[in-house]
Amino acid sequence: MQSYKIAAPAASKRGKGLNRRPRLWSGAADTRLHPALRAVNGLLLILLSLTMILPIWNSLIISLSGSLASMQPGLRFLPADFSLEGYQRVWSRMALWRPFMNNVIVTFAGTLLHVLLCSMAGYTLMIRFFPFKRLLVGFLFVTMTVPSEAILIPLYIVNKELGLLNTLSALVLSGIVSGFSILLMASFFRSVPYEMQESARIDGAGDLRILFRIYMPLAASGIATVTLFEFVSRWNQFTPALLYISDSSKYTLQIALRSLIILSDSTSGSDVTTPNVRMAGVMIAILPLLAIYPFVQRYFVQGLTAGAMKE
Amino acid sequence: MPRFRQHTGLYLMFIPVIVYFLIFLYFPLLRAFTISLQEFRMIGDRPFVGLDQYKAVLADPFFWQALKNTLMIGAGQLAFGFVASLLAALSLGEVLNPLFRKINQMILYLPHLFSWVIVGGIWIVLLSPDGGMINELLKLAGLGQPVHFLAEERYARWIMIGTSVWKEMGYTCIIYLAAMTLINPSLYEAARIDGAGRLKQLLYVTLPQLVPTMKTVFVLQLLGVLRMFDQLVVMRNPAIYREVDVLMTYVYENGIQQFQMDLASAASFLIIAATLLLTFIFSRVSKYDLS
Repeated sequence: MQSYKIAAPAASKRGKGLNRRPRLWSGAADTRLHPALRAVNGLLLILLSLTMILPIWNSLIISLSGSLASMQPGLRFLPADFSLEGYQRVWSRMALWRPFMNNVIVTFAGTLLHVLLCSMAGYTLMIRFFPFKRLLVGFLFVTMTVPSEAILIPLYIVNKELGLLNTLSALVLSGIVSGFSILLMASFFRSVPYEMQESARIDGAGDLRILFRIYMPLAASGIATVTLFEFVSRWNQFTPALLYISDSSKYTLQIALRSLIILSDSTSGSDVTTPNVRMAGVMIAILPLLAIYPFVQRYFVQGLTAGAMKE
Repeated sequence: MPRFRQHTGLYLMFIPVIVYFLIFLYFPLLRAFTISLQEFRMIGDRPFVGLDQYKAVLADPFFWQALKNTLMIGAGQLAFGFVASLLAALSLGEVLNPLFRKINQMILYLPHLFSWVIVGGIWIVLLSPDGGMINELLKLAGLGQPVHFLAEERYARWIMIGTSVWKEMGYTCIIYLAAMTLINPSLYEAARIDGAGRLKQLLYVTLPQLVPTMKTVFVLQLLGVLRMFDQLVVMRNPAIYREVDVLMTYVYENGIQQFQMDLASAASFLIIAATLLLTFIFSRVSKYDLS
């Protein structure tokens, strides 16, 4: 099977385009903005970026403040009375580690299965002619027009009847395949030369083998795109967890945080949730996303472009 | 038949998809429809009552209020989101330094990565009347008493619109930016030869060339508006329910929390009908094809 490994994955060339300036005025010097206007433009962009950064920065400094200091009013841009107390309290005393671990399990299992199943289905749709292909496409098309939120009631009933309420399996299963990912996979697979599949078949390779040995490696950057999209949406998965999980030992991060952030005003007892504790929870939830983001931004852009340009 | 057998592997690879959607989409869809025609009980018989549940929904003032809120918040999100993301994309397109552009792009896209629980949490703290950054800034500007933004009806919808624009503008902006890179440079050249200045190039080349993308984005966001849910579940509170309850929270409240699944199913079928109708109309109008 070695001979199938061909260098230069075709799909990886996409998406890089955005890192260049859109070639609107194709380099000619007289078409650039007047320097003064360009400075204003840059300044406005910095301001815009600041409105994105400041709210997150504000949460970060509150999470790093001491409990008492975090309750004091006043405009601050650095932590007051620096301490990690918020993180310690939310992680161990309020046991955020448990929803965090649940989230890790659901995210990894869900993403892995999603990518596997969608790439299989995408491979099927990539094949040009076979009986009933149009039926399959139609079947998928309908699933993309029905908003899943609109069937939330019967979905709840189905999960209840299958005994899936209060299990992490319900969350892994929810959205385990999606029309969007399947079509995205199919379009990435289409960028691999079609003849490869035909000649491999003549050599006696089965479909699974062709998929895993030829298509997945060659469309690796496409796979990465779908994986990342799915990873992020799994990590943030909210509605299914809100519906199916009521047992607090099965809480995922988003549900646990919701009660921590939004409903905590009413919680009584000795553990008053001070702002630093809440914001520490927020920071813990976004840390994994922030950690991978700089390295994978390219794939996000690629996915967006592929998704949006498909009209 | 031999042709069919040759493709067995292909069908097998598609089976999980079929099974999943049959159990978790087609069957529930059918189920929702039956429930909406019944008087539903979890246990016991469920008499069919025809269109009574639909009548009940349409006679419920809370449903109409939810519809109105959905449309008002949705219209705001669409309009302001459109302007903000387009302006940001045009502005980013003028930047010459690739590093500066890339950093700005990354930062703009950042909030889209976060869930509504996170974004809600961040903004609830920012807007808090005791020591929230927004109120501290207002105080600094000498604007008097702290405002309890999230408890005042007159700000409620605006806050939902604003936070949504904040979260999603980077995402839409990148889509426009990608579309801009695909505009044929010779169009600009031709415009320049005809004596078009920068403003005219923007008005007569860039914007018209972006129209197909705008239509696509518009249809997708319009469908998104009807299903908005997370944001409201997280950010609403009893003081502003009247202003920010939307269709999906109406379904959720009635169906899951008050267990009136029949009524809620009827309401969600109305939402599905509206979604399909809108998809149909706009795919006709914009020749936009979902596949």
